[in-house]
Amino acid sequence: MSAVPGLKEDCEELLGAFQQADTVRFERFAELWRERRFYTVFHGRMRALERNKLTKKTLELAQQYFLPPYSFQIRVGALYLLYGLYNAQLCQPKQKIRIALKDWPEIQKFQQDLLDSQHYDAAYIFRRLRLARAFHFTAMPKLLTYRTKKKIEENYFKEEFKDPSNRVNSLITNDVLEELMNIHDHYQKMKCVISADKSQPDKALSLIKDDFVVNLKDITLEHQEWQQNRMKLFRNAKVTDGTENKKKEETLLESEGSERANALARIKYRSYSAVVEVSKSRRHRQVQLESSESGSSCGKSPSRSKKTSRRPQPAWRRGEMQVAEEAVTRHIGMPIITEENSDEEEVSLSKRRRRR
Amino acid sequence: SIDMLMSSEKEEDPDVIPEDSSLLTLRIRKKDLERREETIIVDRACRQETLTYEMESHATGKRPDNPTDLIEEGELLLTLNIFYPVIFQKHKDHKPYQTVLVLGSQKLTELRDSISCVSDLQIGGEFSSQPDQAPEHISKDLYKSAFFYFEGIFYNDKRYPECRDLSRTIIEWSESHDRGYENLQSVKMEDYVFNDLSLKIGFPYLYCHQGNCEHIIIITDIRLIHHDDCLDRNLYPLLIKKHWLCTRKCFVCKMYTARWVTNRDSLAPQDPCFFCDVCFRMLHYDAEGNKLGEFLAYPYVDPGIFN
Repeated sequence: MSAVPGLKEDCEELLGAFQQADTVRFERFAELWRERRFYTVFHGRMRALERNKLTKKTLELAQQYFLPPYSFQIRVGALYLLYGLYNAQLCQPKQKIRIALKDWPEIQKFQQDLLDSQHYDAAYIFRRLRLARAFHFTAMPKLLTYRTKKKIEENYFKEEFKDPSNRVNSLITNDVLEELMNIHDHYQKMKCVISADKSQPDKALSLIKDDFVVNLKDITLEHQEWQQNRMKLFRNAKVTDGTENKKKEETLLESEGSERANALARIKYRSYSAVVEVSKSRRHRQVQLESSESGSSCGKSPSRSKKTSRRPQPAWRRGEMQVAEEAVTRHIGMPIITEENSDEEEVSLSKRRRRR
Repeated sequence: SIDMLMSSEKEEDPDVIPEDSSLLTLRIRKKDLERREETIIVDRACRQETLTYEMESHATGKRPDNPTDLIEEGELLLTLNIFYPVIFQKHKDHKPYQTVLVLGSQKLTELRDSISCVSDLQIGGEFSSQPDQAPEHISKDLYKSAFFYFEGIFYNDKRYPECRDLSRTIIEWSESHDRGYENLQSVKMEDYVFNDLSLKIGFPYLYCHQGNCEHIIIITDIRLIHHDDCLDRNLYPLLIKKHWLCTRKCFVCKMYTARWVTNRDSLAPQDPCFFCDVCFRMLHYDAEGNKLGEFLAYPYVDPGIFN
């Protein structure tokens, strides 16, 4: 279905404001809602058929924010938004919210989380929706329609709404840590059993650090804190416009994220500046410095350089990792530039770039 | 009390978009509405829109008179798109289809009976000499076989003794050489309900009848039955969307739908030519019913007959 123009921006703006408010209370959301008079989103003279279609699309859009991978606060905001939209709609009988079967366990888990963390207002809202029979339980989340699209719209997730991808945490979960602790204890006990002195393992058997599980936990906690701080800084940097603070924070961010990137860029630059002059016979095929930064492209092969310039805006972390990779591969495989091999070198260079 | 926070405090006309709206959606919509007001003289629902809306919503909330016909909770509701076989060139890009709602506990034969295709009503034979004997046997009565194809299994209609296994040809063909299709089976349609099938959403399946009239069937949605749906079992399979086909009118009076088509007609200006019943008899037969001129006449069923 083609999207309702402007609706995505409005919803994201409302959810963004809710996220800024840093609370999950319904009163706060209701204030924001009333400020914008969001219920008017269904107004505008239209006949019943069009109104049905519009409401369906609106609910479908809002429902997307209700599911993972969005962060907890956004999901609560989406729940409130769905409640508001469902009640404010003008269709009779009301259009329903589609929930796919595969998402249902996650939503139940979410409801359990709400109850555990005593966000009773959100749980109450959810219960009200259930009682009002606002949900359609479907097999697939989106209703299939057959319209040839001119271009496939990429459904991108707003970066700030997502939970910071916590890969470290998902790997080292509490369960994993607990199990590690158990195994560690067991191991120590086994060592004691087989050694001469029953209360202590033999000195010869001490091959691992005794407190490595505790260290692991500390490191992951540190990482998590660091990530949260960065997210906060990043978010604050985006919001505050043209203030002293912003500059400072931005430079702080920059210094953190791109210190390494700058160092690597410097190394790269140094290694590439050494471009040997090709002999006079090959004057027309001078080796030219191709910069790896996106945008600038020179050199013989426009198609090849286009590939590099098409790299999308990297997020901070992604950017530095990519740069790291580049530098590493180039450093290792840096061929000697000679006259005969000048073509080869370019070919192999571009091949490496393509491989990435 | 929570509800009051949501709804408007004062009486507002939902047709009017407020002037100072902060929502982007409304600003865009306002511009669209203004443009529409400038260009459209009469802004009213046309026939097609009324038909579409009516079909979509006519059955919502219906309850049966007989309580045994009430649909229970936990019943599945499938939405099927049944495509017409392409007849017109202009339909090549966007094939017209009808949308049918079917209950999970209904038999495949019920769906089969509900599909109305114009090829079922065709009458074979040339009737220029005996126009009064024309509508005797429609194809639906003569050729009763049909099958569905879902996920490698052919469900053949075997309710009547005349029904033949149309899928046998296909199965023999696929087994004759190693064509890469795993074993295709053939079973009886009347033994199965939709709940027994394993289906893919969005994947094209086939319904074939009359030997060579093939319809593609695509399942667009499966969901649980809801309180606001139509809960009368007798109304299912329920047609909620149908493509409107323009009917061909009689060449003479341009008013009535064509019922006859003639070929090689010396009295007609074009070949083939369509006539309604009255004009056909008036032109081609004299008062006694004798045939005038040379022509071949066939009874014609217009695809738009189901409008």
